[in-house]
Amino acid sequence: MSEQRHTLDELQRWMQAVIMHPGGVTAGMESAEARDQIVCVPEQAERIITRSHTLSANERLEIYSHAYFSRLLECLREEYSVLAAALGTELFDAFAVAYLHEHPSQSYTLARLGAKFPDYLRQTRPRDETDVGAGWPEFMIDLAQLERLVNEVFDSPGVEKQPLLDGSRLQTIRPERWAAARLVCVPCLRLVRLSYPVNDYFTAIRRGERALVPEPGVSHIAISRRDYRVLRYAIEPAQFELLSSLLDRELVGTAIERAAAVSPLSDVQLALELGNWFQIWTAEGFFSDVVV
Amino acid sequence: MSPRLGYPDLGLGVGLRTVHFSHILREWPAVDWFEIISENFLDSQGRPRYVLDQIAERYPVVMHGVSLSIGSTDPLNFEYLKKLRALARQVQARWVSDHLCWTGVAGRNTHDLLPVPLSEETLAHVIERVRVVQSFLERPLILENPSSYVTFAESTMPEWEFLSRLAEETDCGLLLDVNNVFVSSVNHDFDPVEYIESVPHERVVQYHLAGHTNCGTHCIDTHDGHVVDPVWELYARAHEITGRVSTLLEWDAKIPEFPVLHAEVQKAKQHFKSNRACPTPPNRGGPPRYSIGSPAPQITLPAVSNPLAFIVADVE
Repeated sequence: MSEQRHTLDELQRWMQAVIMHPGGVTAGMESAEARDQIVCVPEQAERIITRSHTLSANERLEIYSHAYFSRLLECLREEYSVLAAALGTELFDAFAVAYLHEHPSQSYTLARLGAKFPDYLRQTRPRDETDVGAGWPEFMIDLAQLERLVNEVFDSPGVEKQPLLDGSRLQTIRPERWAAARLVCVPCLRLVRLSYPVNDYFTAIRRGERALVPEPGVSHIAISRRDYRVLRYAIEPAQFELLSSLLDRELVGTAIERAAAVSPLSDVQLALELGNWFQIWTAEGFFSDVVV
Repeated sequence: MSPRLGYPDLGLGVGLRTVHFSHILREWPAVDWFEIISENFLDSQGRPRYVLDQIAERYPVVMHGVSLSIGSTDPLNFEYLKKLRALARQVQARWVSDHLCWTGVAGRNTHDLLPVPLSEETLAHVIERVRVVQSFLERPLILENPSSYVTFAESTMPEWEFLSRLAEETDCGLLLDVNNVFVSSVNHDFDPVEYIESVPHERVVQYHLAGHTNCGTHCIDTHDGHVVDPVWELYARAHEITGRVSTLLEWDAKIPEFPVLHAEVQKAKQHFKSNRACPTPPNRGGPPRYSIGSPAPQITLPAVSNPLAFIVADVE
């Protein structure tokens, strides 16, 4: 029996502070968060946690501390497997441990564990890039952002059990009515603009192939899902603008104006391309309906 | 009281894991039932949920949670419970289980099954929460004994007594994890047979079996291998007392091909009382059959206890 009784709430808050501390259980016991609940120097931990005949109280707590970080790091390494491969396990884990300290899980599901990781990397990126190579952090942030989107699309609402827009319907719309039409995008369609062309790198690493970090350059990717598999499409800036507008529920005419503003094509060339794009995207299942 | 609280004996089942999705949808193996990790499916609107729906049409499904945190001093999460209740109805879950543990406090989730101090204060706290959860879910909660690696100076009773009193007070059921009894008995130096014999047998709705890792100074519930003989012996003793009870094999790391998993749980049949010419005498009144100081059959350091419940995206 302990000399001083502690409430269940004190014990839980103390133990959690101890096992979640990135510096280990000794540092955890000395942390303000733990001491706010129970003041206990590491040498006196057996006042709270009994020793076994082989392990001290601290050694027993270390099992939980080790498991906490190992388990959650494994999840983050799986969700961000391409980023982990690019950074190497040691560096990735260093970022991940810091992230877990800053953003401990507050959800019942591990699927949300890494949701803020891309933003965390962006917020903590080195300000002086001369130390790490110009643009290198941006590449890592781009990878993280793409991997998060892929995971989000994988288990978010899709349209596998719903009808998609049939390409033949596009043919029935008279040309003069196109500008006022609305194309309804499927809920699993995502678009991302990145500062590196990471799509091919992502593909290579996921296939277990070697890949070099690409030269910087703006890239645009559309991500969607069909038959429960996540698909990625490298798209042009004009296509990105067009699809972004459609996702914003703007009229087709407005979307085309936005695309034209960034397209290097002449109006005639663009008009020809638009027909192809809409046919391809319809065939790929980007749209569930058209409202004329 | 009806045995197993009136719940059926579903036979021999296995935990549903993503690596086996394709095999199951292709082969429809002759397994009796599946147990899912509830949290993997509560929000799923993609392939995991699609696979679960297919499976639930053909097999009995039981929902096993890892985030209820029934022992925590945080308020119960009713949004979580609402989703749990909805999924249970949708997949016609035969029952809903979780662990006697807390997973976090102050709004955090460690995603570990942390042990509670086994005291009167904790017992009163958990009794109250089990009643609320059962009322909300409109069904009995089935609680599992966790494997644990610490004990608290505040504890005043053995875990089997805590669980027994909890079950009596709340009418909840028990998921008796035989491997967890063994692992904890090694770590805390108690008699696993006394534990098995002392829990209220009529309330045991399900058994869990799994592999663990003997680290030399302690055991960790890694779910990464075959069930070891001393655990089978405990299972045989438990089965002798309770009769047929739904039995499930968990395998969560170094997961083998489905037929290996299926074959492992089928071994349980060798330990049913009716199949045993002479039941192995249980290792009564002493330390577990292989204990600290015995040669470790498998040492993998550092070992990590389960649960892991994370699904990786299929991507092209």
